[in-house]
Amino acid sequence: MPRNLRIAFGILGVAVLVGLISLRGLHRRIEHLGDIQSSDEQLRRDLLAPQISTSTDVKVKAAIFWAAGPDRTAPVEIEMALSADPVQRAKQVLLELIKDPPTPEQRTLPANTALASLYILPDGTAIADFSDALSSEMPSGILSEGMAVDSIARTLESNVNTLRRLKILIHGQEVETLAGHLDLTGFFDLNPPALPPVAGAPPAAQTTTATGSSANPRR
Amino acid sequence: MGPVVVLDPAHGGTDTGARGAGGAVEKDVVLAFARTARGELERQGLRVVMTRTDDSNPSYDDRAAMANAYRNAIFITLHASSTGTFSTARVYYYRFPNPLTPSPAASSTISALTTWEDAQRSYVDPSHRLADAMQVQLAQHFAGSPALSTPVAVRELRSVAEPAIAIEISSVSVSDPNSLAQLAAPLAVSIARGVAVFQPPVISPAKAPVPASGAK
Repeated sequence: MPRNLRIAFGILGVAVLVGLISLRGLHRRIEHLGDIQSSDEQLRRDLLAPQISTSTDVKVKAAIFWAAGPDRTAPVEIEMALSADPVQRAKQVLLELIKDPPTPEQRTLPANTALASLYILPDGTAIADFSDALSSEMPSGILSEGMAVDSIARTLESNVNTLRRLKILIHGQEVETLAGHLDLTGFFDLNPPALPPVAGAPPAAQTTTATGSSANPRR
Repeated sequence: MGPVVVLDPAHGGTDTGARGAGGAVEKDVVLAFARTARGELERQGLRVVMTRTDDSNPSYDDRAAMANAYRNAIFITLHASSTGTFSTARVYYYRFPNPLTPSPAASSTISALTTWEDAQRSYVDPSHRLADAMQVQLAQHFAGSPALSTPVAVRELRSVAEPAIAIEISSVSVSDPNSLAQLAAPLAVSIARGVAVFQPPVISPAKAPVPASGAK
């Protein structure tokens, strides 16, 4: 083999070695950055979703609707302190819904979702303003988006009985869809008016499908 | 002559829809589904229109406008989710919220003049019937699928002034994207049977074309 070629191969070998060492270091640094980012994320979540406590808080059993299988939500009874003020009460149950699903599989809303604000109009319309994460980190699909809105709506109506409908905003704005499918330009019904019971109809279980077609919606 | 079937493969272009870890992308999966369904429907002698045949992304309104251009059409938008049990299928029809204070005057205004945003409102009942007919067919081919359709505010359906449904197949989250291709044929057969079972709404006499007086 000519001398020049040997030198060229030698230089090439050294360059590959240096490159591999540098890449390993770079990989470690990226991993470290990821760790910092996730702990920052946790800190941000804790700041954005502080525990809400009011002077009228009383320990009650709240019904929080998490996923109960791949295509439906069902209530889980949680003993927690809830305010007598409907706005604070609504915030408390939504924060619980976001923060503490019993298992990761039961989560219906992205973990990074923050409830930025919530208002209740005199006609019973709840306006819930969520952070971008609710939209940007939502698994895409009618099924997943339907379950997300269903869990929000059913959790609100089960714990704040004065609410009549729900409007969802993302980062303070009305958006066309949640994550490409579910229409967020309108309202979602809460606590629909009672209908007379159907004669001979069996009592239905309190579970709901992905999109709020509650088996027992007239609570 | 049966209805014109408007098949809508959802998403397209930069809007990829759901993405699976194995590389399946919703926009491509549903386009393939729509092409197979088109063949099956045409074999039944039905006229089929697709809202897209390539990687374009028509707006929601453009997709609705294609369906609204026909007098006797049904609109079927096809989706593939990122969640749910693999090889299950769900059918959805649009659900409008209840008015807070129902007023007879308001409802008569709706029937006389429907806004573009509310175009589907007059078709909720036939859409529900179509959705249930389709769900029954899909449940026969996709074990584990629900028996009945579900009301949901799917954006693509809202401005369609025809019976309109969304079908969503679970899911793109499969390790082997080729396994999704095997769902295309049973889906196409289910759609063709569902359309055949469904009876489109009869146009009321007041809306039906009236022959000129004296015509023989």
